[in-house]
Amino acid sequence: MGRGTLEKLGAIQQGELSATKNVQQALDRIKKLDKKIKAFIELNPNALAEAEAIDRKLKRGELAGKLAGLTIGIKSNINVKGLRATCASRTLEDYVSPYDAEVIRRVRDAGGIIVGMNNMDEFACGSSGETSSFGPTDNPAAPGHIPGGSSSGSAAAIAAGMCDLCLGTDTGGAIGNPASHCGVVGIRPTQGLVPAHGLIELAVSFDQVGPLAPDVYGAALMLEIIAGRNPNECTALDSPSVNYSDKLDIDIENIRVGTSSKFRELTSPAIMKVIDGAVEKLHHLGAEVVEVELPNLEKGLSAYYVIMSAEFFSATRKFDGRKYGRRIEEVCGDEVLRRIKCGEYISRMEQRDKYYKRALQVRTLMRREFKEALDRVDVIVGPTVPKLPHQLGTKLSPAEMYAYDYLTSPISLAGICAGTVKAGEASGIPVGLQVQGKVLGEETVLRVMRALEAVK
Amino acid sequence: MRMKIGFEIHEQLATKRKLCCDCPTDYREAPPNTNVCPICTAMPGAKPMPPNVKAVDAVIELALMLGCEVVLDQPIYVQRKHYDYPDLPAGYQHSSTPIGINGELVGVRIREVHLEEDPGAYDPVAGTVDFNRCGVPLVEIVTEPDMHSPEEARRFLRQLMLVLDYSGRVRPEPGTLRADTNISLEGGTRVEIKNINSTKGAYRAVKFEVMRQKALIERGAVIPYETRAYLESQMITVPMRMKVVDFHVIPDPDIFPIVIDRARVETIRKRMVEVPHQREQRLVKQYQISQAVAGVIVSERELADLFEAVAKEVDPKLVATWFQTNLKKVLNYMKLRAADVRFTPEQFGGLLRMVKDKRITPEQGELVLRELVKQPAELEKLLRRIGIPITVELREKIKLEDRLKVVPLKHGELEAAVVKTLEENPKAVEDYLKGRKEALNFLAGKVMKLTRGRADPREILKFLSAKLKGKKKRRVSRRTKRSK
Repeated sequence: MGRGTLEKLGAIQQGELSATKNVQQALDRIKKLDKKIKAFIELNPNALAEAEAIDRKLKRGELAGKLAGLTIGIKSNINVKGLRATCASRTLEDYVSPYDAEVIRRVRDAGGIIVGMNNMDEFACGSSGETSSFGPTDNPAAPGHIPGGSSSGSAAAIAAGMCDLCLGTDTGGAIGNPASHCGVVGIRPTQGLVPAHGLIELAVSFDQVGPLAPDVYGAALMLEIIAGRNPNECTALDSPSVNYSDKLDIDIENIRVGTSSKFRELTSPAIMKVIDGAVEKLHHLGAEVVEVELPNLEKGLSAYYVIMSAEFFSATRKFDGRKYGRRIEEVCGDEVLRRIKCGEYISRMEQRDKYYKRALQVRTLMRREFKEALDRVDVIVGPTVPKLPHQLGTKLSPAEMYAYDYLTSPISLAGICAGTVKAGEASGIPVGLQVQGKVLGEETVLRVMRALEAVK
Repeated sequence: MRMKIGFEIHEQLATKRKLCCDCPTDYREAPPNTNVCPICTAMPGAKPMPPNVKAVDAVIELALMLGCEVVLDQPIYVQRKHYDYPDLPAGYQHSSTPIGINGELVGVRIREVHLEEDPGAYDPVAGTVDFNRCGVPLVEIVTEPDMHSPEEARRFLRQLMLVLDYSGRVRPEPGTLRADTNISLEGGTRVEIKNINSTKGAYRAVKFEVMRQKALIERGAVIPYETRAYLESQMITVPMRMKVVDFHVIPDPDIFPIVIDRARVETIRKRMVEVPHQREQRLVKQYQISQAVAGVIVSERELADLFEAVAKEVDPKLVATWFQTNLKKVLNYMKLRAADVRFTPEQFGGLLRMVKDKRITPEQGELVLRELVKQPAELEKLLRRIGIPITVELREKIKLEDRLKVVPLKHGELEAAVVKTLEENPKAVEDYLKGRKEALNFLAGKVMKLTRGRADPREILKFLSAKLKGKKKRRVSRRTKRSK
């Protein structure tokens, strides 16, 4: 495919590339590569028909939407009417969505063509893409390695050029982590910016739908389509709609970029070397680089796992075997079961003060710490993932696996936004730079990401 | 033996929409599983809408009516209470932290009032679930264990039902009440009883439970802490086979906490209806009527409303007497509630004025009242309908009320009717003379019929008694003669 999102949109608008042809190319590529990569669980049988409808609209000169003709992959925990939202689990193996998630409604309105449902870690429980009941996804940018997770299929699909844009979801790093390992762009939006209705939850208070894209423009475009208030949701922010994609190329002179020594403490040197190089580039572009304090950063991970497990336990009670196939505990994988059991234990009456309440206190702490740091700077940059992806099939202890989320879970606790863009490579494996922004600071985050992308 | 009884009461709120979605709440009318959506059936990924403002307002109002302080300017969390049952599609029930606290009703302290959600309706025999009811908002009222006898418990529940009924915020259909009670006797253990669906049921359940526990204590047995179910059909309680459950309560991360400010509470307080027991006190003072009569009058909100409207027209004491006796009697007989009454306060007032001015007898008045309840119409029509004649001259001359003036029966007319009745009913006469007093009423009824209700019953009785006395004397004298 090769061309950037903006160019491709232009080609479709000009009639150089039809939506139908674009979809056909995507389907061909999926057919060719996906046996090995396993980025998709199910394809949309109506994709070509939908593309033809878009082409007819374009031919008549009608407005077909900002995403007109682009091929979109959807993570399997987002409801797309008529397709299976399996969450890559045997529990929901046969669950065909009876409704569209709010983000899907918006994507369809914008003329995006959903090509299929992406593979993922089962119920988003995983950081490697290996816990899927439909088999692990390979990393197209570093074959034989994990693509990261849990939005594994989405990042891999973008990296392999199987579709133009993807919707992933992030709970404790599930967009940034695979974006980093696969060398693509991903955004975890501010908590509450993107409507959650239709997203099958891992942990409601952290879950966010966000874009994965081959370039910053694509991510910005997708974000502006899906972001914005849904009055029918309790936890949606009352945020204005922003045209992120229009403001990408404003230079970053005088932008204050924060870094923290904490990142270096928690991250492998090979990755830090790439990150240092990226920070250097930002400095050359005119950004002011300053050191910020994030004294309790490492406490975030365990607090995140406590709250997430409690909420996950609660969220999975509906999978009681009466309505959707078999009871979740009977068919799920080890990681899902581990989190359910943990959550059940943590939310017991006699345990609540000991774990859940304290974790909520850490959440407040993390929110304050990032707020204080971000009061001094415009963005904070650092690595997305503290270590390089392991080889597929390597046995890791749960603690080793969870360690992938060290630098992303605090962002979820703080409720702020963060984007990942490729900073370089270490041992031939992509390394992502994480740009963390203020609450609703997506515009600045995207500008910094775009500045770094443009240097390459 | 001293005992402590407390209640947890659930009632459905009378909102049009469910608590967290836009589905209608008329689960009774709709075919099964038609008033449902992805939200109230907890389809994967569905997120709740912000809690129904009307439901929250209703709970605030009920809390105020029960003398509670409303929790102000603090987060009220909508929590998830987890349990596994077919009627609960999400696997958890929404239940808020207290909205009202520290209330009081007829001497029983109200611990808290909060918001909950109804589950679906599971039919264990058919193995089906109807989710139409799922998500209908409920109010839960929790009392302190301040009742000390089954009678006190019944009295409290009746009063509580009256308050709920007055508020107009709970569903009026019968069978929406769900009560749990806990009972502990001195020297015993606290026992919970579930599955109570009426005030009568609560009274019987408590009564049974007190007996059961008393017997156990007297035998020296230990009462285990347990949850029991009340079986309506047998009027007994039985142990529920239920493990002690931990509901794994967490604040629902899907729903921002509710925060209530003073302005909202004051707005609700202004439009709130007067609580029945306070209204009772006011009626006593304002209209100088007895506590007992006031109690009857406030037993239905519409009855009390009607009373106050009529009391503007006519002497309140007369109105009160009529409400307590005649109107209540007629309504009870016809199995009607005051809410079903369609006549106007003016019509009733006019009737009472006529009674007061002695234009008609109270008994005639009651006959008119019956007609009025059956089919409201102008008094004149009603009088005619039951055969109280109105002369042409009168109709021409006087105003509406005076037109209704009744022409009493002539003296001879009544006497003739009495004589005829006695002749036609020798058996009843015989019975009466043998000492069966009820026969007199029977005869009076016959006379009433003959005079088409126009005669004053007291007059009838007077005449009847006089005539019968005469017969008795004659009989006695005859007998004496014979014996002689």
